[in-house]
Amino acid sequence: MSDRTPHVVCPARELPPGERRLVEIDGRSIGVFNVDGEYYALTNVCPHQRAPLCAGTLTGTTRATSVDDIEWERDGRVLTCPWHGWEFDVTTGETVFNPHRWSVSTYETDVIVNAEAVAAGEAQPAIETHPVDIDDGVVVVYV
Amino acid sequence: MAETGTNRAEKTLSLIDCDIHSQNLGGMDLAPYLPDHLRELRGTSTPGSLWSNPHGVTRRDVAPKEGESAYEALCRQHFDEFGIDYGILNRGPLSLGVAADTEHAVALARAHNDELIDNWLDRDDRFLGSMLIAPQDPERAAAEIRRVGDHPRIVQVLFSSASGLGVPYGRRLFWPIYEAAAAHGLPVAVHPGTEGRGTARPPTGAGYPSRYIEWHTTLPANYIGHVTSLLTEGVFTEYPDLTFVCVEGGLAWVPHLMWRLDKNWKSLRVQTPWLERPPSEYLREHVRFTTQPLPEPDNPEHLRQLLEMMHADETVMFSSDFPHWDNDSPTFGIPPLPEELHRAITVENAQQLYGLPDDPAELG
Repeated sequence: MSDRTPHVVCPARELPPGERRLVEIDGRSIGVFNVDGEYYALTNVCPHQRAPLCAGTLTGTTRATSVDDIEWERDGRVLTCPWHGWEFDVTTGETVFNPHRWSVSTYETDVIVNAEAVAAGEAQPAIETHPVDIDDGVVVVYV
Repeated sequence: MAETGTNRAEKTLSLIDCDIHSQNLGGMDLAPYLPDHLRELRGTSTPGSLWSNPHGVTRRDVAPKEGESAYEALCRQHFDEFGIDYGILNRGPLSLGVAADTEHAVALARAHNDELIDNWLDRDDRFLGSMLIAPQDPERAAAEIRRVGDHPRIVQVLFSSASGLGVPYGRRLFWPIYEAAAAHGLPVAVHPGTEGRGTARPPTGAGYPSRYIEWHTTLPANYIGHVTSLLTEGVFTEYPDLTFVCVEGGLAWVPHLMWRLDKNWKSLRVQTPWLERPPSEYLREHVRFTTQPLPEPDNPEHLRQLLEMMHADETVMFSSDFPHWDNDSPTFGIPPLPEELHRAITVENAQQLYGLPDDPAELG
């Protein structure tokens, strides 16, 4: 998996779908989100004017192929900046309006069961090789 | 100075913010300041907007913490956070200016001013206040300026940038406001938000927009109408000490206005013989513009060119619009500018206009 260092965020049961946690790691503020059971982490700084992005609203967004054909999409995974409303897809860190030019850093996340090993920095958590019961696991972010 | 030669550190200002909306953090109750009958019959409501912002008008991250007052939240998140030496509190309800009930509007403006003086202006040396008036009743607006305009921390007269009377603010019927403001040494300022509300006409002459994005983007059109009216009607000829401040009205239209007006003046001056010089010269002397929302062109050099074209070293003053959804960060909202220009915009132009001492405690 990641060659970055895992940091414990919180017990998985404390981060249900639709919720978020803010963590401070190595001086960096990072938001960790649970979107429909999947975990995503992104930097808590909007690239526009450096507002605390992860304090924004998690919602969906609109897409239109014509003025008469409007879809509400990405419900629950679009984070709007609390200042100017710039929209970011939490699952990619990319803005909705120009994903190639404007985005924020994202981080790998995982849920693992052996929290002590993670805290000691010796774990090699791999969700593929260790079946995980999420209720007993902890959410980690790799920074 | 008596203290020359002592070790007293020289105070120099680092930032003046010309547009702060403390009321959006709560803590402003005007009802107790209204006459009994209006409190019972009308309350404090004013004409609402037809256009809603999908994100709300107030930033999502600024609500006071549990147990924290609006004052404390304002200082923590803005004055202390960014080292602001002076901030002008521009509070609502601005839409009293487009209310049909003039008696109510006049009373609300008075209530606002009394509450501002009672609860805010003496609380912190960094606070400056804009007094509200009901511009649709110029005589009583002037009386209100005479009533509270001498308070040392009331630094300007504020009203809605939307005229509720169907004519722009240069018209003579508004001149009692300017006469009183000039007599008290106060600039007059307008702030957007009320365009298209109440008795105001559509936000632009084009007619009613559909959505907030359209309404907000075209707000400068209304400002162009007012500033052109003020310049051509001769307001600044009649009141040579008056300054008009366009708060949050945009910047990029100013070169257009100066150039087109000067060009037209050469041909059409016969209509406005009181303008003895090109109108743009009156603008440079008498009209000021606040920065937010600062244009964000893809090429930042274009912004520097714009600022040069509009003589920003004389005409532009920093504003954040905290805590509204479109506020500009005092730190990251302004791109790098030449040092002298940056200082003129962030400190000097406002310090000079409002007559602010280097030490805020000296203001009284």
